[in-house]
Amino acid sequence: MTIGKSLPRYEGLGKVTGQAKFPADYYMPGMLYGKTLRTPLASAKILRLDTSKAESLRGVAKVVTAQDIPGENGHGVIFPDAPILVEDRVRSINDAIALVAAESEEIAEEALSLIKVEYEELPAVYDPREAMKEDSPLVWDKGNILYHLPIRKGDVEKGFREADVIVENKYSTQMVDHAFLQPEAALSYIDETGNLVLRVATQYVHWDRTEIARALNININQVRVVCATVGGAFGGREDMTLQLHCSLLTWLTKRPVKMVYSREESFKAHSKRHPIYMKYKTGCTKEGKLIALEAEFIGDAGAYSSWSPNILRKSAVHATGPYYVPNVKVDAYAVHTNNPFTGAMRGFGAAQPPIAYEAQMDLLAKELGLHPFTIRWRNAFEEGSETATGQILETSVGLKETLLATAKAYGWDVEKLY
Amino acid sequence: MIGTKSFEAIVNGEQVKLNIPQNLRLIDVLRNYLGLTGTKEGCGEGECGACTVLVDGEPYNSCLLFALQVQNKNILTIEGLASYNNLHPLQESFLEHGAVQCGYCTPGMLLVAKALLDKNPNPTREEIKVAISGNLCRCTGYSKIVDAISAVAEKGVKR
Repeated sequence: MTIGKSLPRYEGLGKVTGQAKFPADYYMPGMLYGKTLRTPLASAKILRLDTSKAESLRGVAKVVTAQDIPGENGHGVIFPDAPILVEDRVRSINDAIALVAAESEEIAEEALSLIKVEYEELPAVYDPREAMKEDSPLVWDKGNILYHLPIRKGDVEKGFREADVIVENKYSTQMVDHAFLQPEAALSYIDETGNLVLRVATQYVHWDRTEIARALNININQVRVVCATVGGAFGGREDMTLQLHCSLLTWLTKRPVKMVYSREESFKAHSKRHPIYMKYKTGCTKEGKLIALEAEFIGDAGAYSSWSPNILRKSAVHATGPYYVPNVKVDAYAVHTNNPFTGAMRGFGAAQPPIAYEAQMDLLAKELGLHPFTIRWRNAFEEGSETATGQILETSVGLKETLLATAKAYGWDVEKLY
Repeated sequence: MIGTKSFEAIVNGEQVKLNIPQNLRLIDVLRNYLGLTGTKEGCGEGECGACTVLVDGEPYNSCLLFALQVQNKNILTIEGLASYNNLHPLQESFLEHGAVQCGYCTPGMLLVAKALLDKNPNPTREEIKVAISGNLCRCTGYSKIVDAISAVAEKGVKR
């Protein structure tokens, strides 16, 4: 009935009338306001944490530190290596140290300023290429290399020997924030059955629920996560930010707690797109047929794993772009640094490699005196092509059709460009 | 402690009288005192336009105004634009043209569009783009938003 028809947006009416409820739009009688103390250091040891002044401030209901977490102090979409609250070792700027719940936002702010933290600064590393070296400061004792994926196809050395033109370059991409328009917010409370309810904008309701239960040391069925209207996410709401903090404050006070991040705290709290350092060596024949490709990706995972292994895997799988190459050697690494952690963002690792492989295609074309269209046309994936990882593309390969449509839109005489 | 002061204004056609802290922003009065949560905070520093409301018909970032700066003014928020059962033509057009995605910029976008059409019922696409230039849509649905506003302009609807 509905296939092929344009339907009105399901929740559109609420959105155009201002009635749609984003998490900050929920209020409850008697609710407390929660705030987070974050560290300004990237690598340090906490020597002393004194919350006594904050606790005695009038209007403060609760101050929470790592010791107060009833269950496990860690979360993460793959490995639970991100601390809910730092116990002793700061690994990244903006790590959360303590939480405050108070009768007003102003009191909560003031309480944060009364918490005293004494640190011993430790050596830090901010470049994943440096972090891979033997003598680099260690973000984690087990070593900084979180993930390595090698891809080998054919004989890349032989391929380069047979190549007429070889182009070799380095490329890098920068850290990017999703900057979804709705900063993180949540409201949590205990319902009439004694269960915890959390209203939040999230991309991962069931995992939030699992991790909250683990942190509070309660059963999963005692936690209800209700997804409010989500004001943009783009991957940035896959990892938890305030979900655990808000839940902890409610669980420990048994009162409704609301947390709303400012834009600045939003930038501090959630993941970023991976900066990736890419080395490319691409060889082709004088006819413009790709014959060998060697690529190395070093992705900055920041201090915590998040989705880094999956993202660098995706980068590696996309290393050749949509082009057939018979001989391929790819090495992708995700490496810990003391930078803010990186995670999912639109493309999930597939957005960075095109910067490199498409530039390589243009440079090869230039060397050979070929039109940029021609070199792409001659190497483009089509039905039946085999990728570098051995996948046979059986159906729906629209690249050549797209290339043609694009060339025509530019007014290029494609008959002369094949 | 900052003292309170009496605040009076007409909000969505209704006379409002409140005692509020003197340093309260307009957006806080709307959201926290009047329950008008359709006005959104995106950046808190006048960059994103999500908190746009109309003050005497002109669009303003309500995060950059103290409430006391709009004493006795006429304020329109998204809740005052129309009701569920009786949408403004701009609201209908936004729905029809797919100009609503996550929805967080939508109230502000609708209000700047209304301010534009009230003054200039037949704007060009360029004039529409200039009018919404202070409002960010991170879903980047700008062309559909411009389409939606244009469609209303072409019908010459004024309300």
